[in-house]
Amino acid sequence: MNAEATREIYWNIGHVWVMYVLLVPTLVAAGYGVYRHISRWRQGLPVACFDRPAERIGRVLKHAILQARTARDAYAGWFHRFIFFGFIVLVIATTVVALDADLGMHVMRGAFYLYFQSLVVDIFGALVLVGVAMAAVRRFVGRPKPLVYTDEAAWILAAILVIVVTGFLLEGWRIAATHDPWAAWSPVGNLAGRASAMVMTGDAMRLAHRLMWWFHLVLCLGFIAWLPYTKMMHVITAPLNIYTASLSPIGASLKNIDFESSAAFGVNSLKAFTWKDLLDLDACTECGRCTAVCPANAVGKELSPCDLILQLRQLMHERPREAFGAPANGNGQPAGDEARAGLPLIGTLPAVSPESLWQCTTCGACMSACPVFIHQMPKIIDLRRHLVMEEADFPTSMQDAVMSLEKRGHPFSGTQASRLDWADGLNIRHIKDASDAAVLLWVGCGGALLERNQKITRATAQLLQAAGVNFAILGRDEKCCGDPARRIGNEFLFETLAKDNIAKFKQHAVKKIVTACPHCFNTLRHEYAHFGGSLDVYHHSEYLARLVDEGRLKPAAGDRKVAYHDPCYLGRHNGIYGAPRQLVQIASREMIEFERCKGSSFCCGGGGGMSFIEEPPDKRVNQERAREALATGADVVAVACPFCTTMMEDGINARKGDRDVRVMDVSELLLQAVQPDATTQATAP
Amino acid sequence: MKDIAIILFASAGFDKAAQGLTGAARRLADQAGAKLRAIVVGAAETVAAEVARIADTVVVADQPEVADYQPELCLNALTQICREIFPAAVLLSNDTYSQEIAPRLAHRLAGSAVGDGIEIRMQGDAVRVVRQVYGGKAQAVLEMKRSPAVVWLRARAFQPAPARAAAGEITRAALDLKPDPRTRIVERKREETGEARLEDARVIVAGGRGVGSREAFAAELQPFAEILGAQMAASRAACDAGWAPATWQVGQTGKKVAPDLYVAIGISGASQHMAGISEAKNVAAINTDAEAPIFKHCRFGIVGDYRKILPLVRQKLAAVAK
Amino acid sequence: MNILVCLKQILDPEVPARDFHIDPAQREAERGAANLVTNIFCENALETALQFRERSGNARITALSYGPATAEETLRKALAMKADGAALVVNDGNPNPHPLTVARVLAAAILQLGQFDLIMLGREAGDWGAGQTGALLAEELGVPCVAFADSIESAGDKLRIRRQTEWGWEIVEAQMPVVVTITNDEHNVPRIPKVRDVMMSYRQPLTKWNVSELGVNAGDAYYEVTELFIPQKETRCEFAAGDTEEERAGAFAKRLAELTSAL
Repeated sequence: MNAEATREIYWNIGHVWVMYVLLVPTLVAAGYGVYRHISRWRQGLPVACFDRPAERIGRVLKHAILQARTARDAYAGWFHRFIFFGFIVLVIATTVVALDADLGMHVMRGAFYLYFQSLVVDIFGALVLVGVAMAAVRRFVGRPKPLVYTDEAAWILAAILVIVVTGFLLEGWRIAATHDPWAAWSPVGNLAGRASAMVMTGDAMRLAHRLMWWFHLVLCLGFIAWLPYTKMMHVITAPLNIYTASLSPIGASLKNIDFESSAAFGVNSLKAFTWKDLLDLDACTECGRCTAVCPANAVGKELSPCDLILQLRQLMHERPREAFGAPANGNGQPAGDEARAGLPLIGTLPAVSPESLWQCTTCGACMSACPVFIHQMPKIIDLRRHLVMEEADFPTSMQDAVMSLEKRGHPFSGTQASRLDWADGLNIRHIKDASDAAVLLWVGCGGALLERNQKITRATAQLLQAAGVNFAILGRDEKCCGDPARRIGNEFLFETLAKDNIAKFKQHAVKKIVTACPHCFNTLRHEYAHFGGSLDVYHHSEYLARLVDEGRLKPAAGDRKVAYHDPCYLGRHNGIYGAPRQLVQIASREMIEFERCKGSSFCCGGGGGMSFIEEPPDKRVNQERAREALATGADVVAVACPFCTTMMEDGINARKGDRDVRVMDVSELLLQAVQPDATTQATAP
Repeated sequence: MKDIAIILFASAGFDKAAQGLTGAARRLADQAGAKLRAIVVGAAETVAAEVARIADTVVVADQPEVADYQPELCLNALTQICREIFPAAVLLSNDTYSQEIAPRLAHRLAGSAVGDGIEIRMQGDAVRVVRQVYGGKAQAVLEMKRSPAVVWLRARAFQPAPARAAAGEITRAALDLKPDPRTRIVERKREETGEARLEDARVIVAGGRGVGSREAFAAELQPFAEILGAQMAASRAACDAGWAPATWQVGQTGKKVAPDLYVAIGISGASQHMAGISEAKNVAAINTDAEAPIFKHCRFGIVGDYRKILPLVRQKLAAVAK
Repeated sequence: MNILVCLKQILDPEVPARDFHIDPAQREAERGAANLVTNIFCENALETALQFRERSGNARITALSYGPATAEETLRKALAMKADGAALVVNDGNPNPHPLTVARVLAAAILQLGQFDLIMLGREAGDWGAGQTGALLAEELGVPCVAFADSIESAGDKLRIRRQTEWGWEIVEAQMPVVVTITNDEHNVPRIPKVRDVMMSYRQPLTKWNVSELGVNAGDAYYEVTELFIPQKETRCEFAAGDTEEERAGAFAKRLAELTSAL
């Protein structure tokens, strides 16, 4: 080991000052590019996203550095890491050179020079090449469908390839021409040098080196300058986006509206987005995974979250003046003046069509799949809000549901069911007669008014009774939690319903709630807090699982093969995967997982107001999931959500032919295991 | 006792409704010990002759001004005639014209009107009418406080009266009619029953998942519907399966219908479907499952395979028709 | 052109039968947990008026209601749908006035509100469904009435009104002023108001009167509800009986024939 191991920086290169001069336009161009992004983000509405820095930094480490989500696609995960860490090492290496050359700190010596600056750097440089090759094979040969194919992406790969290859050539020529004694420490460069020496003289290599050095420099500086104008910007925006991303679960990602002070309800121009939304747009790496996991897209509908984000981004970049509109001035231009408000998004951008917007089930798969934590689905809701609240323009069947919510407090227009039908013969007290009740059983509109789901409510109630739980219900005083109104986009109606229910909770001093519906669960747990409802909310699977753990319910083992379908609002939105599985496992002989399960569960198609829309018969999300269900070979498909129950039954009944496959809620399964003779058939009123 | 009058529009002929109206009025008059005075508007000797076999007298208003119904002129004419007759009650059928003029006639005669009566009787000197209220959820008995009581009835729900030995006298009304240009019916369109809206259908035959195929809809249900004079409808499951067009879909996401009779075949009766037929007066069902929810909403039903039952039912219906 | 639309607030007609109760002594339905809504035919009427205004470009729409204080909600909704003005005659007396009283009160209010060319009402209300108010109002005002209309168009200085009949439809040409009662049609489904308009509607002025202020002679009797009851519905389905399928089919067919012959 030679403590003097090093190399001559700028060997063979004269007029190095030119490099420093070239740095100026590079930094100006790059700086201007970054400035332009920032100035556009700043035109969005304010929002606070810098609280709890420790958690945010943790997120950045896990997702920006370790790229946990990117790695869900193993192949892509590896090549991205190769390129990412390769570049980091190369940047460190360049910094080391700068420290040595510009600051006179002679660190580029000895063991450090050999092990790091030579060996490690070569290896990581080679990994970059491997990564680029893998990426190129995928992009040009494999051509998987979800990816976004642009010329820019090809040029970027080409640029990286050329930069690294020319870098190795430079290294090789230097090594060969100077007969570098430590050549072996730079294996790739050494190889390049040896290979070149076979066809080039020392002088030729010197000349080539001199020319190539400047070419390589200009290429690198050009790359830096070019970076903010391409999707490469994600090297800055992705970590920033991950840092500022909401720390709440997916189920709590929708914005609240202050109706008194808002200029616009919902979004129909870039200006109405928050700066964080606009940053989202710039963080997109065009990976296409959101669209790949979108259930609507999977069954052939137009909705594409990726296209939505990219087209919004394109608008922001190409027509910012129009898109953001003139800045608000005090000179009284009339409200609603389009030029001032900014170019309308809906109908102008193909991916932001009303058709697409009304196809979203709000399942959140897009958000969960996104490696850089973009919030695609909340933007769709923002756009829906505009259509519903500012234009009153939305599908007729959803209008019926909304009218029914307003007039009757439930979305099932035309039903003749009463909220107490399910409780016949069960002797359940109204909360007003039960101030000692430990918990309120929140039935939900589905559980009360849909025939099939009434059985599930009965099953849940019977289990609670069997376990000796002191519970009560709101009965006829229960109004819709407001989830359908909120997902359809009528935030005003949602607020009205929420405040109504919260007043009732306060009136009856309700603190603890258990509900069988994940949508109600999500809304009561996360979305009522804004209006003063501070509640302890449990999904019935959690509550029942605890009763089993405590020995208050004693189930016998089951005898069937049961596949469990994760509801979006329980699983992905709230991270509850274990409790329902516990119940299924207890009550079955064998529990089967769907191919797409847990965080990757495929939506049943019922959320987001989609239960109230007639889908074209060949493009039904529930049919696709039913196909998957039947493919598991299970006798029973277990669900834990009233929308899933309806959707899965419809889908499975349509496709099952002669097979005996049933859909059962986890509470029904548990009831059978606890009381095999129990019936959930309601007695006649 | 003052007399009971009825008003018939000749253009409809002496149809089921006219027969029911006349029957109801005849019985009311007999109950009150009064005469039945029929008023026939429009040119129709046959109608006058038919009703004369039941009523005590018939007044015909067939002047050109009222031969074709025009609201202001007919109202004027009827007011004059009723002032002449001075009845205790004036009964009408539930056709459009009767419904629209009944209250106005009552007002002009300083009487009281009520509509959609399903029962009518005398209580002493007062007329009492029973009608459905609150969307059919309740029934009210109303006593008319002014005279005449102008009542339009759900005429087809009443039994006709037998013809009497002696026919009533038919006279022509003496009317003093001035032209009234304020409103004028300028166009009339009769719609073919095939094109009639499902929401207006009186009888509907609907098929569900239990029907099984598009062919079955055409081969089994459609002929059955034809015999009943019914419109076709379907549940969402059947439409989803492509066995019926979307325009036939009845239910929460579909049409809301209010027929007098709804025959559900192979339909389970889930609430989403029932939400579309909550206004149906009578529901009948054929289903293989005796526990199917549809039977909770039925007036009558039959458990069995429609493939075997419908042909038998069709046969029986054809026999009854003869 | 001045259009007046009368609106009635009623108990939600879609209350499920199980939750619907009456007070036999009061001879009125009990409110219970049911909501109050605007009668659908009144909303159809307002929608027809709004569409007329959109097509003809020049009409002022006033919404009028005679009802309890809660009826203000109905009028606010009308304003949210962009009616130009609203007036409420507060009824704090008999909760179920008969149609003649209603017609007289509305007529008195209309005279206070000004001259109207077109007065529109729903054909009947979803609670008592008397279906007379429009006709009686026409008589009180001394103008003609066209019932069961579903669309209105301008035709010079007249109106071209399409109205439904049991066998199809008719076109009526009417001079103004005229009273028109409206029935539902696929084209007059009431529009959903924009949320902003809903918020603004609460800030708009609303004229209010008590019945006594209008000097209406509402005393006359018209008819009296002597009894109000919920008929016992057979919830039992009559299953066709018979030993053989043929017998059962026969019984079923017989019941079908009975029902269809009464139509």
